[in-house]
Parts: sequence; C-alpha cells; structure tokens
Amino acid sequence: MSVIFRVVLIGAVLLMAGSLSAQTGSGDSKSAQKLSASSIQIEPTDPGDVPMPPEFRMAVYENLIAQIRKTGKFQHVYRSGDNDAASASDLVTLHTTARAFNKGSQKKREVTTITGSTSMTLNVHITDHAGQVLVDRDVRGKVRFLGENLRATYDFSKKVATIVQNTF
Amino acid sequence: MWTRGLFLLAVGAPLTFFPTPTRGQAAGAPQTAPSVVQANVKLVIGGETIKNNSVGTLSVVGNSLQFATDKAKVEVDASSIQDISTNEDSRQDITGAAHFATMAIPYGGGRALALFSHQVDVLTVEFKDANGGFHGAVFVLPQGQAAPFKKQLVAMGAKASVPLADPAPANK
Repeated sequence: MSVIFRVVLIGAVLLMAGSLSAQTGSGDSKSAQKLSASSIQIEPTDPGDVPMPPEFRMAVYENLIAQIRKTGKFQHVYRSGDNDAASASDLVTLHTTARAFNKGSQKKREVTTITGSTSMTLNVHITDHAGQVLVDRDVRGKVRFLGENLRATYDFSKKVATIVQNTF
Repeated sequence: MWTRGLFLLAVGAPLTFFPTPTRGQAAGAPQTAPSVVQANVKLVIGGETIKNNSVGTLSVVGNSLQFATDKAKVEVDASSIQDISTNEDSRQDITGAAHFATMAIPYGGGRALALFSHQVDVLTVEFKDANGGFHGAVFVLPQGQAAPFKKQLVAMGAKASVPLADPAPANK
C-alpha cells in the first residue's frame, strides 16, 4: 500500500514539475516572439493574378489602416507613399497579396443561407526596415450569411489586426 | 473722310479676327467640363473625416470631386486621382433594423423579402493626399450614375487604368 502511494506521489510530483516547466517555457517563447516597432506603413493590396475588384482592394487597404490604428501598438500608422514614413527609424511595412477571391451574392446568402458566401484569401507579409520578413501568413476573410460583400474585407482586417496585436 | 475710314478699318480689322484670349478660355472651360451632381450617394469607406456608410451628395465642383453630408465635407482634387473605376453590384431593398425584423417573419417570409434588391453602381477612387499618402474611397450610387463622374474627372486630369467603355451602338 505504502509502495503504491509512493509511486503515485512521485508520479504526481513529476507531472506537476513537467507542466510547470512547460508553462514557463511557453511563456518565455511568447515574450521572446513579441517584436517592437514604433511605426508601421500599410501598402495597398497587390491583386497578383487574382481578379479582385478595385473596391475590394481599397476596402481592404482602408480597413487595415483603421483596424491597425485601433490596436494602439504603433505611434504612427503611415499610409503608402507618406513622406513622413521615410524619417521613421524602426518602421515595419505590411504588404498584402491576393491569393484567392470569390465574390458571392448577398441575395443568395440570405435566401438560401448556404450558398453565395464572399471569401478572400490574402498573403500578409510584414517586413522590417532591412527587408527581413517578420510575418508571412495567409489570412482568410469571409461573409457567410448577413451583410454586404465588402464586409469580407472588414473580417479580413480584423484578423490581421489580431496577428499584429500578437506579434508586436 | 476717306482717310478716317481707312484708319478705322486698319485698326478694327485685326481686332475682329483676334478675340480676347482670356475671355475665350474662361467661357470655354465650363462648356467642356460641366458639373455633375448626385444626391443619396453612400460613402462606404475612405472618408477621413466622414463616418463609413454615410449618405450625402457627390459632385464635381471646380476641379475636384466633393462628397458632402450635413455635418462634413471631403474634397479630392482631380489631378491627385491615381485611378478611378466603376463597377456594378446589387443591394438589398430592406436594410438596417427593418432587415433584422424580417428575420422574425415565420415560414421563411424574411428570406422571401431578401429577394427584393436593386442594382447599384460602385465608384472607386484612388488618390494621394498633400503628403503623398495613398487613399482609397468607395462610393455606392444609383445605377448608371458612376460613369458620368468618371468621364468628368478623367477630362479634368484624373488617371484611369481602365478607360471608360463606349456606349453600345444602337441596334438598327
């Protein structure tokens, strides 16, 4: 009985020690992954080979600026081509390139509830001043049921803002 | 008498054939660039000082595109426009709070109401501000109303990657 109790006790202690070390380890890696930059510049969406209408590209660009400003992670959020961005010392640049785009139909969505969704997948690429890649991910924006087609750009921008929030 | 008549002819003839250039240009400019105005236009996104989805009046005033609501106004100079494009889309007839109310209609009545929609024009303007910053603005206009704006702005120096489509020839 006492032998079993000892084995269980040792096992429990080892498990607790293991989980504690794992937690501290993950905490260290999380804090190590956080990057710092005081300014970010947003570039307009590159449509690539994807036939993405201009209103969607512009809505992505404007929504990105609004959502990244909302994160409060940067002192300055510069638009593409802004002359003031040249003087920013630790500037990072956000690029988006279209990978896939499907313009659905609001009418279809609301009548059938299963078809007509609008979706877009864009590659999000954040580089530092030296051109080193900090973030390289594909992000999907969609509107499945309620709302106009352009709302997919808002969904996409919110997700990118979350990535920025977790990275910086 | 004869000498006086010849003198008047000599002085008057050049004036007859060379009209004052300043007047001619001033009168000619408005003729080639008439103003375009459209009420009930929705600014979907891109109005710095105006909230998204605001409804107002879009017009071409002087040499710039202007969007005005009751509270604010934004103006974009035609020469700063990098690209301007038009597209077509559709919008639901029932929107806002009424749209949510229709969802409560039993036996799929709300879905049936979603069938009621209308065609609209989408006008996208890409431009640069005084500091070189790139902007995009998306407007939703009644069907067929975006093309006159594009035509007018291109005539005033705005750039357009896709030229305005010529009207389809009439069938005979």
